[in-house]
Amino acid sequence: MVTLDDVADKSLLQKPSPEAPESLERSESKYQPLATFALPKERNYHQQFADVYFIRLAKIKPIVEEIAHAAWEGTVVGGETATKVDRVLDVRQGQLCWVVGTVYMEMPLKPSVLEDISHDRWIAAPTTADKYYSPDGGDKIMLEDDSGRLTLVGSILKDYFLVTGCIIAVMGTENAHGEFEVLDLKFADLPPQPDRWRLSQAPKAKEEDVEMSDVSSGSRSKKIAIVSGLEFSGTDTSHAMELNLLLEFLLGEALGPAAQSELSQISRLIIAGNSIAKPSDTDAAGDKKPHSKKYGYDASSYNPLPAQLFDGFLAEILPTMPVTLLPGALDPANVSYPQQPIHPAMFPRARAYVSPPSTSSPSEPGWFDNVTNPWEGELEGWRVLGTGGQNLDDICRYIDNDDRLGMMEAMCRWRCSAPTAPDTLWSYPFQDDEPFTMKECPHLYFVGCQPEFGTKVIEGPQGQMVRLILVPSFAATKEVVLVDTETLDVSRVKITTS
Amino acid sequence: MDRYVQYLADHVLTEDKVVTYRLLSRELRVHVNTAKQMLHDFHRSQNAKRPGTVHATYLVYGTKKASSDTVSASQNGDGDGDVDMTGSAPETDLAEVVPISTLTLVPEERLQDALETYEEVSSLHVYSIAPHPTKDMALLVDAASQVQPLEFGEDRKKIAPILNSKARRRERQGAGLKAATAAATLAKPQAKAASKPAQATPFAKVKEDPATSQVKQEPTEKPASSVPAQKAAPVPKRGASGGIMQAFSKAAAKPAKPKKEETSTPAAPSAEPNVPALSDEGEDDDDDEMPQPKPRSAPRHKTRQQINQELREMMEREDEKEEESKSDSPDEEPIEEPLEEEAPGPVPEPAKEEEEEKEVVTSSSNGRRRGRRRVMRKKQIMDDQGYLVTIQEAAWESFSEDEAPPPPKAKAPAPAATSSQAAKPAAKKGGPKGQGSIMSFFSKK
Repeated sequence: MVTLDDVADKSLLQKPSPEAPESLERSESKYQPLATFALPKERNYHQQFADVYFIRLAKIKPIVEEIAHAAWEGTVVGGETATKVDRVLDVRQGQLCWVVGTVYMEMPLKPSVLEDISHDRWIAAPTTADKYYSPDGGDKIMLEDDSGRLTLVGSILKDYFLVTGCIIAVMGTENAHGEFEVLDLKFADLPPQPDRWRLSQAPKAKEEDVEMSDVSSGSRSKKIAIVSGLEFSGTDTSHAMELNLLLEFLLGEALGPAAQSELSQISRLIIAGNSIAKPSDTDAAGDKKPHSKKYGYDASSYNPLPAQLFDGFLAEILPTMPVTLLPGALDPANVSYPQQPIHPAMFPRARAYVSPPSTSSPSEPGWFDNVTNPWEGELEGWRVLGTGGQNLDDICRYIDNDDRLGMMEAMCRWRCSAPTAPDTLWSYPFQDDEPFTMKECPHLYFVGCQPEFGTKVIEGPQGQMVRLILVPSFAATKEVVLVDTETLDVSRVKITTS
Repeated sequence: MDRYVQYLADHVLTEDKVVTYRLLSRELRVHVNTAKQMLHDFHRSQNAKRPGTVHATYLVYGTKKASSDTVSASQNGDGDGDVDMTGSAPETDLAEVVPISTLTLVPEERLQDALETYEEVSSLHVYSIAPHPTKDMALLVDAASQVQPLEFGEDRKKIAPILNSKARRRERQGAGLKAATAAATLAKPQAKAASKPAQATPFAKVKEDPATSQVKQEPTEKPASSVPAQKAAPVPKRGASGGIMQAFSKAAAKPAKPKKEETSTPAAPSAEPNVPALSDEGEDDDDDEMPQPKPRSAPRHKTRQQINQELREMMEREDEKEEESKSDSPDEEPIEEPLEEEAPGPVPEPAKEEEEEKEVVTSSSNGRRRGRRRVMRKKQIMDDQGYLVTIQEAAWESFSEDEAPPPPKAKAPAPAATSSQAAKPAAKKGGPKGQGSIMSFFSKK
């Protein structure tokens, strides 16, 4: 309960003071992006997608086998000792064994490339289904490797999130129907976590134990702002005022001196996808032109306003704050994962801050860094992994509840940041490397464009700690997430107009 | 020191406008915090003289009381409670309480109510003042978006509360950026003018020179001025190709003006010389796409359709003309590729159709052609007496092969033209000027 009298003595409800207030200096951001998800300039789409699965299985299988070995070696069930089987097809009926493979979900509602081909549909339409999961139980879980497939049954499967593409070890027996009855299952769990300040230089004047000294010295710990789903629109102005307030908030122009000094600690803004709104139907339906398709593309049907507004937003923020921009599902970037950076030509004003192209020397990252989605980097020494949300949204379709944090955790424990690629999440057909496999455990993992905020810390078997954050869509919730760069604590700011 | 009283009296009381602290700080070159105090002071002194003359909105920042805050800080949906990845995870029990600060913009009538929902307020200041109570926050958007971004240098130090000395900016040479920024800043004032139905005209008159306002869309004058002009123009296609061509032509026209548009603060006047250079086409687009709260008036729409209609007719006429001129210009003759056996221009239709039946090229890109063609196949069937009979029948076969190498004598523009020709003969128009319009590059293959 606050009354007007309580705050009347705040300095800004007074006569103007003759002396100009001091300007604050914004904290510096230590930043080292990684090019984990950058695709080669020359992209080749002739190869098969199966390689993605092979590489993933080859990378994760040894780890899962090791864990399964430790857990199940010598396990005796019903007088029979579990043995390891190398290939899915080698499982014999009635024999207690364990085997490692890739999960494949057979779901009637899931889009299937085979079905597309059999119906002579050569261009896959984007999926429209909210959920692939069908409650009537028509779904089948299978385990596959390069030899074949095996249907999995068992009540234990309900206790875990399982989606196409994750790699697990299962123990059990094959029953008379040729199905594998699962008694227990294991997966890779969190990968090894790098130390802080692995890639970038820790700030000087700190003792060996960086974290301890930081905590003690730091009442002024730095923050990172993460926002997603700004959805600048050419037609929908319903949240335009909130966007204005967000800009003023980040610039530090709003609020009083005390709050401003707090805001000056925000050292970087990360925009996690969907900066530009989906073109509304009214845009297109407004004028159905008779096809005088002179040039194939009708330039007048393009609405440049959202991009202009977004460019203006960035151009105002950039002088005081570095920005990392991830593309999202709605943004003008390629559709398939990993999405490549939005081209700087989209930002005629903000691109002055982009790092110059094709400098041979390994220059410092751009002040305005438009990056890939997913993106990996080191921020203030912490390893950060972030996505624009498509990977999580797609996993969500497989599963009958909405525990998105749990799914994020599952992704980390599967060591795969986009398991459903390339099955239902469109992806580049990788040939030599599969970047979605997590080689190193991030300290901070955020997923953008989510329906609501959520956060938690998960722990790994070797003491890894990962901070998971669901970044809500700003257009829907009007929320910004602030992350403390020393403790990785999270706070939120909500912007409302009444 | 009373400069601000003068300014606010002029703008709020006389001109009936909304003034935000950001606008005030930029107009008067004062720190934003000082501007907030000025607004407050003006608001108080005016209302002391005559209550209800000035209305304010306030920006409140702090933490709300827990009750009013929905319990969204807790874990979202552990749902069925059957989810436990680790098997032994105690951390799911303690739902993390995340501190949430709230920034609220509230009109003065509701300020008291808003404050009551707060647990603690760390900052409160006047956001804007206006001669009327603020009913619709959307009106504030227009006021807020009038604020011009600050440039580097003294102004920024004086006005902005938070600076960053480490910001790196590329200095660009070359005219491309200049033109682009000019176009962007140019688009902005117009956006404002268009999206403010009622207040637009007085403000625009004050801010912009007669030159600009003349170009601003006057529905009645538009059809009169733009349509005949376009009709008379010999090359309407260049106009239609839109922004990219203009950007270049404009940049070329005035090369020696390094970033003048960027530095001068009220962008509208400085950008004004560019305005006439904008074609009707471009301007039309801008105006068309603005987010307008109200639908456009009907007659206006009609004229636009008419313009489109006329333009389209003109294009078609142009097309025919080109086709004609091409048929008698010898150097446009397509080079003889295997698939291109169809006669250049004037040869009668039947021959063409026959050829097309042989082969349908659906795409040709990157040196590869794909499509279907008709081939004669031998087929063995068993007839009803049990004999094997070999028959020949025509069948379609899809193929994908390397494009035939361009013949040595090909002229420079020829290769570009042929690839699209293969796809659709209707699009055959290499461009009589030797260099085609850039838009043909983007055409669907």
